[in-house]
Amino acid sequence: MNLITLKNKNRKELASTLNIENKEDREVLLEKFSSIGLPNKKTEEYHYFDIEKLLDVDYKTLNYVPRSIEESDKVEIVDGVVTKAPKGLRVFSEISETIDMDHFDGLYYLGHLLSPRIIKIQVDGDAHVEILHKYTQSDTLINYRVEISNQANRHVTMYENFETEDIKNALVLYGYDMNIAQDSTLRMVRLQTMSDNKYSMVSSHQINVGKNANIVLKNFDLGGDQALQTLKVVLGEHAHIDAEHLLYLNNDSKRGTASQIIHRGVHSTSRQVAKNILDGKARGIFDALIRVEKTAKFTKAEQNAKSILLHEKAYMVSKPQLEIYIDELEASHGATTGQLDDKQLFYLQSRGISRLEARKILVIAFANTLIGTVKDTRHQERIKTAFEDVFYASNKG
Amino acid sequence: MSITMKIENLEAKIGDKQILKGLNLELEPGKVHAIMGPNGAGKSTLSKAIVGHYDIEVLGGDITYKGKSIIEMEAEERALEGIFLSFQHPVEIPGVNNAYFLRTALNAKRKHQGKEELNAAEFLREMKGHLEMLGMKSDMISRSLNEGFSGGEKKRNEILQMLILEPEVIILDEIDSGLDIDALRQVSEGINRMKDGKRTFLVITHYSRILDYIEPDYIHVLKDGKVIKTAGPELVPYLEEHGYDGIKED
Repeated sequence: MNLITLKNKNRKELASTLNIENKEDREVLLEKFSSIGLPNKKTEEYHYFDIEKLLDVDYKTLNYVPRSIEESDKVEIVDGVVTKAPKGLRVFSEISETIDMDHFDGLYYLGHLLSPRIIKIQVDGDAHVEILHKYTQSDTLINYRVEISNQANRHVTMYENFETEDIKNALVLYGYDMNIAQDSTLRMVRLQTMSDNKYSMVSSHQINVGKNANIVLKNFDLGGDQALQTLKVVLGEHAHIDAEHLLYLNNDSKRGTASQIIHRGVHSTSRQVAKNILDGKARGIFDALIRVEKTAKFTKAEQNAKSILLHEKAYMVSKPQLEIYIDELEASHGATTGQLDDKQLFYLQSRGISRLEARKILVIAFANTLIGTVKDTRHQERIKTAFEDVFYASNKG
Repeated sequence: MSITMKIENLEAKIGDKQILKGLNLELEPGKVHAIMGPNGAGKSTLSKAIVGHYDIEVLGGDITYKGKSIIEMEAEERALEGIFLSFQHPVEIPGVNNAYFLRTALNAKRKHQGKEELNAAEFLREMKGHLEMLGMKSDMISRSLNEGFSGGEKKRNEILQMLILEPEVIILDEIDSGLDIDALRQVSEGINRMKDGKRTFLVITHYSRILDYIEPDYIHVLKDGKVIKTAGPELVPYLEEHGYDGIKED
């Protein structure tokens, strides 16, 4: 399948191409997708990302047949199909009923159209859940969506990881629809390290945060190839999001985040921090909008992006944006892009540490300011090691 | 008389401004040399020139250390050779664990000396006595380097680095600034502990207070980028009374 063939098609043509003619439950989705269309260079969130090049490939497609689920300590999703799950966790496949009809990303709708049956993960009580995504197919379009819900007053931590076999040139379209129940907390710690030419990814997420609920997103993106995550978060009354993004890129990779955090409820609060380290000819993207709607009085919103460029050809697109429709709020945003701090470098050198080693120490320190916020020390160490492995592999000198 | 470091006719600028204008100075082993002078005389510029700070452009002259010119050496090479600067304003580095930094610096030095590197446990044993002597809480070495440290804590941390790195030439740039009496006493005790008859100290200060704690052998008065007078400690009370304007060039 070549997804670029969906470009500029009307609803009827889309239904025919996607083989979903006469399916009434898909009508609204189809309508929405045909009105937004495929993202392209002119789509704001994809402006700095070569999406059309990724879509314009003849990918093999997969037949997504649910399998019997083996008991394991983690949820394992192989090429979009759940193969393993822990006992006591409800994991099943079902037609999605909670699709956001106001998402900004056309690929969110395409993902739902391509994957009408989604993977549902329902977490009861307080829990720690690990989700492992595995990709094993070369030259293939791997598309699936995951819906996560928790219970009110409960606290869930999820660790999301990615693995691949020796594959090449796959495209993964996936994403979450999350509903964070009232008075609950969901922490999601995501670690992704990718090798070049194995697979590219666009993940489009939708998160509703209920009254007094709290979501913590920690995204550690350690580069390779191309990936963009689009993220839409809607905050209810007294809801809070704490989103941190660490991006480390080298070589020719292009990766990043395009997000919209929407304050809808009164007294909702948000904090979004991005730290980006770019080497080689890499291009990083942090295109982040915070929108405060009329209903969201007494909002507090804070957004900050800091980027370090380690190479003259590295390039970072940092676009923190505020869109505000009320007066009663506290909001701040800012972005800085620069090189390593000369004073800090000199301080380390003045103690006998070589300039190269001092640079490594400072880069790792910059990353550690986010990695160090992962509460579980085992996972914190795992992420730290992953970062150092990737960083030292490209800074062997 | 043997000389540890010789500065000859040193001229240096920061940005477009020439600060050092033909400075001459000889530092003797085992001696405490105090550099005093009014604001803008070039005291801190001198210390930066010795350690190879990136701000400084040397226009002329030379600095020889143990008979070898160090002008072309990188800052880390000078440090490994035994030159140490205690900064007036130590920089904060969030995310760099203080203990990790100290051990990395110590092991760089040990490697340079052909010694085996210390592991974490060996290093912590080495640190214990120093921390106690300086009145530093043990959690200070598990925090980020200088981040959120008070002025006194930062200065203690500088002295801690000096104690573990055991340099041969120690430059103390305004070490007493921001210290209360107790901290000043502890910091001075750390410095005096390093006196072994071989190490050389260069104490840069505005005020004579620190010299009550670290007894100088020589006072050098710096003015307009040059050393205009060198004398013994008896010069200190004279400076207290008459100020720098009362000093006549040698």
